[in-house]
Amino acid sequence: MILSLCALPAFAEAPQALTASEALRCQYQAAQQPFLPDLPNARRAVQSAKTLKVVALGSSATAGAGASSEDVSYPSMLRAELNRRLPGIEVKVLNRGIGGQSAYDMVMRMDADAIAERPAIVIWQTLATDALRNVGEERAAKILRKGIRKVQEAGIDMVLMDLAWLPREERYPQYDDYRGVLAKTAAELDVTVFPRHAIMRAWARSKQFSYEELVGMDGVHLVNSANRCLATRLAEGIVAAITRDAAAPVKDAKLD
Amino acid sequence: MAQLSGFWMFLKGGRGPAQVSFSDAPVRDARIDVIRGLALLIIFVNHMPGNIVSSVMPHNFGFSDAADIFVLLAGVSATFAYGRLIENRGLSVGLLKLGGRLWTLYIAHLAVFILVCGIVAAAVTRTQNPLYVEAINIQPFFNDTFEALIDALLLTYQPNFLDILPLYIVLLAAFPAIYFAARRSPLLTLAASLTLWQVALALSWNFPNARNSGWFFNPFAWQVTFTLGVVIGRAAQQRISLPPLRIVDLAAIGFLMFSIVVKTATGNPFGLPVMTEWLEALQLGSDKTNLAWVRLFHIGALAWLAMRFLPAGAAMASNALGRILARTGQNSLEVFCASIVLAIAGQIILAEAAFDLGVQLLVCSIGVMLLVGLGNFLSWYKTLTQKGSARPQGHAAGVRVALPAASVPER
Repeated sequence: MILSLCALPAFAEAPQALTASEALRCQYQAAQQPFLPDLPNARRAVQSAKTLKVVALGSSATAGAGASSEDVSYPSMLRAELNRRLPGIEVKVLNRGIGGQSAYDMVMRMDADAIAERPAIVIWQTLATDALRNVGEERAAKILRKGIRKVQEAGIDMVLMDLAWLPREERYPQYDDYRGVLAKTAAELDVTVFPRHAIMRAWARSKQFSYEELVGMDGVHLVNSANRCLATRLAEGIVAAITRDAAAPVKDAKLD
Repeated sequence: MAQLSGFWMFLKGGRGPAQVSFSDAPVRDARIDVIRGLALLIIFVNHMPGNIVSSVMPHNFGFSDAADIFVLLAGVSATFAYGRLIENRGLSVGLLKLGGRLWTLYIAHLAVFILVCGIVAAAVTRTQNPLYVEAINIQPFFNDTFEALIDALLLTYQPNFLDILPLYIVLLAAFPAIYFAARRSPLLTLAASLTLWQVALALSWNFPNARNSGWFFNPFAWQVTFTLGVVIGRAAQQRISLPPLRIVDLAAIGFLMFSIVVKTATGNPFGLPVMTEWLEALQLGSDKTNLAWVRLFHIGALAWLAMRFLPAGAAMASNALGRILARTGQNSLEVFCASIVLAIAGQIILAEAAFDLGVQLLVCSIGVMLLVGLGNFLSWYKTLTQKGSARPQGHAAGVRVALPAASVPER
C-alpha cells in the first residue's frame, strides 16, 4: 500500500504548529460540537506500552492528497497533532483511505486493512458514497453495524466520522437521513461520532473560512488549513479521552 | 439420449459428433445480440445510482447482474469472432486481429477516461459539489495528475465505472489460451479455470492497483465467467445443443426463485436459524471483486435457461423491438463507451436536479434512446458503407473468408 507509507513518521515532515489566530479559528464554537469519546483501549496502550496506533479507514476524505504531493490528508495531520500533544508516546496513524468506496467495500477490507494492524483506535469515515448512491437506509445501517461489531469484537476502540458538510446539500435529498443512520447506529452500539458535519457547518457560517478553504475544487478533502483544524479537534478529543483520570506517565500531556 | 452422449463427448474432448465446416457462413444467434443490447442499457441505468429505474433492475432480484452477463457474452462472441478466424486462417492471423482489437479497446478506455475527467472537473468547478469527485473516485487525477495519468495508462488506476474495459482487455488477451484449452477439453478447461480462481482467492492474487489492493474486477476471478462463455461459444460452434435434462431445468429455476426470495425479503424468510447469517450476508451484497459462488451459479442458471428456452437462430430479432436491441448489442463497444460518459453526465444532472422524479425518468429515457439510436445508427452506417465498397471480385476466396470476421458482433 503506497498510501500507508505517507502516514509513517519517516516519510512525512512534521507540519508546523498552528499560529495563534489559526488555532482560534479552529476552535470556533467548539463547545457546541463536543467530541468526547471513550477510548479505554487507547488509554491502556498509552499507559502501559507508551504507544498509540490509529487506523484511519475511509474514502477520499481520508485518502487525501496521496503519496506524491505534500501530504495534507487528515490522518497525517492527526499524527502530527497527536505527536505534539503526547510527548514520549510513539504515535502511528495509518492512512487506509480509498476514494469512492462504500461502507460495504470498507467492511470487506476491514479485517485486512484495519484489524490486522492491531491498532488501539479505528477512525471510520464512511457513508458518503452510500448517501449519494442511496443504497437504502436499512442496508446502510446493517453494513455499519457489521463493521463496528468487527472492530469492537477485536477489542479496538472506534470513532465514527460524521459525513462532511456540503454546500447545497439538498442535491442529495437523503443526505440527512444517512447522517441519521450513522448517528443512530453509533448510539445503538455505543460508538462516539466525530461531529465533522456540525464543525464544518459552523466554520462555513463563521465567515472565518473562505468557501475555497472548505470546499475547494477538490472538495470533501478540505484544503490544508481546514483539514488541519479537523485533525486538531480530533486530536484534542482523543488526548482528552486518554488522559482523563489517567496515571502519571501522560499527566504532563499538553492540552492546548 | 443421443443428445446427451453428444454433449458429454463435447465436454470431454471439445468436439461433437457432427462434422463442422468452418468455412460455412456463420449462423447468427440473435439471442446474444438482443441480450447484450439489453445488458448494455441496464448497465447504463445502474451507473446512475440512486435513480428510481435502477431500483427495479435485475440486480435487485438476483445475485449476478448485467456485468456478469456482459462478461459471459464477451466470451461467447470472442469465440465466434476469433475462434472462427483461428480455425479458418490460422493462429497468426487470429492473433493479429485480436491484437488490433485489444489496441482499440485500450484507446477506447483512455478516451472514456479523459472524457469523464473533463466532465467531472467542469461540474465540480461550476457546482461546488465535492461529492462528484468522490462518486467516481477521480480525486487522484486532480491531486496527483502526473502520477494518476501514468497509472491510468498502465491500467493501475481505474476510477469507479471505468473498471470493466480493463477487465475485458485482460480477458480478451487470454482468449487464445482459453480457446485452445476448450478445443481440447471443455471440462478440463472449466476445472482449470475454477482452480485458478480458488488459488487466486486463497493467495489474494489480483492485478495491481496503485491506490487500492487490486482491480475492482479481479481478472483471476472473472476469467471463470469468461471461460464459461468461451465453452458455450465453442459448443455452439460445434452445433451442440444442451441435453433436455428436466432436473437441471428445475434446479436452475429453483435457484433463480431462491435468489429472488433472498434479495427481496427482509431478514430470514426460511425460518431456519442456521441460514440467518448467510442470508444477511447475501442481502448486503455479494463479492463483485472476487466473484462469489452465488454469482456464478446465478449466471450459470440464467445461461442454461436462455440456451434451453429462448428461441435460437434469428427468431429473437424477428420483431421490431428485438431488432433494435440486437443492433444495440452488435455495436457493444461504442454503445458501452457512450453509456459510461452519458451515465456520469446523468449522475451530475440528477444531483443538480435534487433527484426530481421527472428528471430521473427523463434522464433514463433520453439516455436509453441515445444509446439505442447510436447502436442502430452504427449498424445502418456499416451496411451503407459496406454496400458502397462491394466489388465484383467480392466472391474471390480471399475476400470471402474475411467476411465472417467482419460481421461478428465484436465489430
